[in-house]
Order: sequence, then structure tokens, then C-alpha cells
Amino acid sequence: MDLLSNLVTGFGYLAGVQPAVAIVVGVILGILAGAMPGLSPSMGVALLVPFTYKLSPQISLILLGSIYIAANYGGSITAVTINTPGTPSAVVTSFDGYPLTKMGKPGVGLGTSLIASTVGGIIGTIILIFFSVPLARLAVKLHPAEYFALAIFGLATVASLGGKNWAKAFIAAMLGLLINTIGIDPISGVQRFTFGNYKLFDGFALVPALIGLFALSEVFSRMEEYKLEKGVVAKFEKANWPKFMDYWKLKFTILRSSILGTLIGIFPGAGATIAAFLSYDVAKKSSKHPETFGKGNPEGVAAAEAANSSSVGGALVPLLALGIPGSATTAVLIGALMIHDVNPGPLLFVERPDIVYSLFAALLVANAVMLVLGLWGSKLWIKVTIIPKKVLLPSILAISIIGSFAVHYSIFDVASCIGFGIAGWLLKKHGYPAAPIVLGMVLGKLAETNFRRAVLMGGYSVFITRPVSIILLLLAVASFAVPLMQNRKNSSE
Amino acid sequence: MEVVKFLEKGPGLALFLGFMVAVLGVVIFLIRRSSKKEYTARIVFPVIFMEIAFVFLIILMGFKKGSANTVGPAVVPLLWIIGIFAFSIILIVKVLLGHEEKDPEWGNIRVAVTYIIFTVLYLIIMQYLGYYIATVLFLIGGMYYLTYRNWKVMISLTAGWLVFSYLAFYKLLYVPLPQGKLISWIFG
Repeated sequence: MDLLSNLVTGFGYLAGVQPAVAIVVGVILGILAGAMPGLSPSMGVALLVPFTYKLSPQISLILLGSIYIAANYGGSITAVTINTPGTPSAVVTSFDGYPLTKMGKPGVGLGTSLIASTVGGIIGTIILIFFSVPLARLAVKLHPAEYFALAIFGLATVASLGGKNWAKAFIAAMLGLLINTIGIDPISGVQRFTFGNYKLFDGFALVPALIGLFALSEVFSRMEEYKLEKGVVAKFEKANWPKFMDYWKLKFTILRSSILGTLIGIFPGAGATIAAFLSYDVAKKSSKHPETFGKGNPEGVAAAEAANSSSVGGALVPLLALGIPGSATTAVLIGALMIHDVNPGPLLFVERPDIVYSLFAALLVANAVMLVLGLWGSKLWIKVTIIPKKVLLPSILAISIIGSFAVHYSIFDVASCIGFGIAGWLLKKHGYPAAPIVLGMVLGKLAETNFRRAVLMGGYSVFITRPVSIILLLLAVASFAVPLMQNRKNSSE
Repeated sequence: MEVVKFLEKGPGLALFLGFMVAVLGVVIFLIRRSSKKEYTARIVFPVIFMEIAFVFLIILMGFKKGSANTVGPAVVPLLWIIGIFAFSIILIVKVLLGHEEKDPEWGNIRVAVTYIIFTVLYLIIMQYLGYYIATVLFLIGGMYYLTYRNWKVMISLTAGWLVFSYLAFYKLLYVPLPQGKLISWIFG
């Protein structure tokens, strides 16, 4: 009952003008930061921290929380319309979102991503409200062996991402994993594959790589298909927004992906991208039409978006309940809280329930505001797809270049973005999917550091003696084997 | 180990990569003269991956070993390298057994390559003339190359993008967009 009365008090706090303005401004800025390649949710939140110095802790957290929620949705807009994911997790949204646009159904992609993001965000927040303390305690008890097993489970999704090109998908994932080992080894401090170049000490940055692999490679592919005539990304008579029943059909996908996304979001270091990949894989495996995934199936968009938005609620669990930031954005948020002399952790719920519950209420309201602004804005964003290709393609390149430069203010990052773009174009042309490369780059560090820590703590047998680890590894084996066997069966038929 | 140290940077690395390119050239030559010439790219790609893995493998030999019950810095990359070799061999075998389709046709490769050159030039020019001048040249030149001739749109879009870049990235986000060495030298 305490929880509910605190929540009511939290909603009561939002009745003022300042909280309402903070939510609306936060959502708008979050959508813009998410939609702009090169600006991550963590950057969006970090940039606004200095503006919160004069605000109260509640308003600051409401503003920053709203940005965090909306930025995850914002990434899907450019992923669906121009195949340029604004955030790393939106890469998964583009798998089916952009094919929908190419089929002349950008409204379906945008509408599905908006509804799935909103519902996912709300479910993630509800789980955060009711289960934050026990879930956080569970998450921090996990052994590195279990984190390693989780990463391997994530990597096993490559088998279904690749479809009949599974061998190519695995090579792409291995290349991503190998690229991830470039730089200074996080455990021993040894330089690995830096070729004596100090710019490679930190390895290749993820954001320029994914901008290159998705946006630039798509532009180069379009150029290759280009005929010097009029052309737009998609031709459609009207926007074709999904009807209520279209959304209703996705209810189980959205619900399942939201729960999965929240749970994965709780694991420190896992985050929205892994949540989106895993949920997409689960959605594909449980779909009646798995063969349509990657070709414009709204289920794929819904799974990815519900998962990445719900992971926000998950990521806030260890932050608020234990004071442990599990992602870059929550690390920025913890800094913002400390500026205001608020120390996250178990005592926060006792000492400052006003801050905690006003944030919970604000996150729920922010999702509703995002839905309203998203519905209104989608009519505008959809127009991107009717811009002539002759104007759009150079513009995407210009956005990509500044987006990759803005990450570390580095020309080297821009050059690597172009390199990844050329590689992505050639690989895609010959049937090698780009997504496993990104998956390898995202999961590589999680897999390696936890593998080495686990061995250090318990030897090689630790992976099969811990129940959670063995279950996740068995799930990974199943996740790897089932799509391959299905492929074999389909091809023999 | 001295050999590995020589090969991992500078002239040694250039020599090593040159050798790899030469091997690739020989492989392409042999495929083009064989009955599998319509599968050249299907074979060349896995060969390139194996060459990359081989370069990494040679460099990896120079890493220090882990002590008992610790995993050294070479172990995990070695796993990925083995994976690349294994899957590359699977792909080549699939081609040889006729389980792969023929190479895809190239489209309008001239436009794509020209645009890649434009993008690289944009990056180079940006370092000498600065972000703003380079962007004007790139956007207007790029649209013009694609036969777009609506000058009002070209100029307003370029100007709009420059204003947005300046306000959003330079002013709000403090992104130090390149000023250009030449511009800095002239104007100080």
C-alpha cells in the first residue's frame, strides 16, 4: 500500500507547470537526439545535465528521464525512413522497418515502432516500479560465467539472423568479434592489433561503425542501383497507418519483447541493443511467418522497439535500487543525481520517496506524451521518404559524416565510418549481413571480459557448474541449432 | 618473436600486406581461368577473410601467454580467428559443391565508386578548407552530379544544413567542427 500511496503522491507532484514542461521538453529533445545518428541517448542526457544545475532534483530527474525514454524511440525514426539507425539499438528496427518503407508502407513501420515503444516503455516502467528492489539484488548476484553465457546466448541469434546464409552471418559475427578485440586489452593492458597506431588504442568506435555499415552502405547500394532519373525512397499514395486491429495482432510480440527487454536491461552492461537483438530473434522463432522477417514484417519492428524502450525501465532498476549504473546513460544519470546531493541506492526509497516516485510517475507520463508527439510528428517524418533520391542520398552522407565526427571529434572516426560503409556495401552485395558484425562488436567485450573473469575466479569448469550459466548456454545451443535444422529441412523439402 | 614485431607495423606490415594482396591476386587469376570463374567473388571473399585472420594470427603470436588459471590476451581473439577460418572453408566448400549461387551482377558501379571518391575527397577537403566550405562543395556538387538542377532547393538545403550544423553541433553541443588548416593559416 505504501508503494501505491507513494505513486499517487508522485503523480500529484506532476500536476504543476514545471514538471509538465520538463516532460514535454525532455521528450522532444530525446526524440531529436535519438533520431540524429551520432547522438546517443547518453549524449542527449549528458548534454542537458548542465541545464539542470538550477533545477530541483525532481525536475532534473524528470527532464533527464524523459530524454532517456524518448531517445530510444527517436532512433527508430531514421532507421525506418532512411535506414540510418539513430541509436545502436535501432539497428534491429531497421531490419524490417526499412523494407516496409521500400514497400511503400512507411506508415506501418513508423506507427508500429511508436506504439511498440510506448507500450514497451510503460511495461518496463511498471516492472521497475513493482520489482526494482528484488530484481536488482538478483542481477548483481550473477557471476561473470553467467554474463558470458548471456553474451553467447545473444551471439547464437546470428543463426536465425542469417537464415539460409548462416555461414556468412557467422563469418560476419566473427569479424565483428575480432574487430572488437582491436585496442588495449581491458584485463592485461596489452596492445592488440593496433599496428602501432595510437588511434586504435580504444579500438573502432561503435557508432561510426554502425553508421557506416547501415547508412553509408545503403547509400552506396542505392548509388549502384541508380539510374539518372527521378526517384524517391518509397512511392505511396497515402501514409497507410496501421489500424487498431493491426496493432492488436502484435500484442503478444510487444508484451513478450517488453518483458524480455526489461529483464535484459537490468543486467549491467547488457543494454538496449542486446535486448533488441534477442527479442527480435525470439519473435522470429515464435512467429507463424519467420520467413518474412527481414523483408518488412511489422512483428520485427514491434519486437525490436518494445525491447529497446522497455530496457530503459530495466536499466533504472540497479541504478535506483542499488546505486549501480548498468549503462552509459544511467552512469550519466547517477552523476546528475550526485550533483543534486542525491545518492541512489536502497536508502533512496526510504529517504527520498518523493524523488523516486515522481520519477516513476514521470516515466509513465513521458511515454504517453511520446505517443502524442510521435503521432503528430510521424506525419512530418514520413515526408522524408518522398524527398527525391538526388537530394536525399547526399544529405544522408552529410548527416552520417557529422554524426560519426561528433562521437569523439575525430576525423579517424569519420574515415573508419567510410571504410565500414564501403565494406558494408560490398558484403551486403554478396549476401553477408551487416547486423551480425554490429552484434559481434556489441557483445565482444561482454563475452571476453566475463569469460576471462570467470576462468580467473573458478577455472574453466565454472561455466557448467553454475545452473544459470548452463541453462543459458543450453538455450544458446538450441537457439543456434534450431534455425539451422529448420533451414536444412526447408531446403530438403 | 622478432619477426612478429617486424611484421606488425611500419615497413614490415606494408610488406606483409603486400604479400597478402599478391596471394589474393594469384587466387583471383587462378579462379578466372578455372570452371568456377562465375563464382569469383563467392571464393574471393572467404579468401580475404582468411587472409585477414592470418594477419591477426601472426600478430597474435607476439602476445604474452596467460599464467595458470588465467586467460591471456591471445586466447579469445584466437577463438574468433579459428571461427573465421572454419566458416570461410565451409563457404568455399559450398561453392565447390555447387551449393552457392553465381556472383551477383554489378549495377551502376561508376556512380557508386564516384560517390565514394566524392566522400573521401569531402573528408580530405574538410581538413584543409574546413567543415563549412567542404560541406557546400559536397552537397551542391553531389546533387549536381546526380543531375538534380533545382538550384533553389540545392542552395536552401545546403544553407539550412550549415545553419543547423553550426547551431546544433558547434554552438549547442560544442563539437569543434574542423576549421581547416588552410583557412586557419590564412586567417590565423
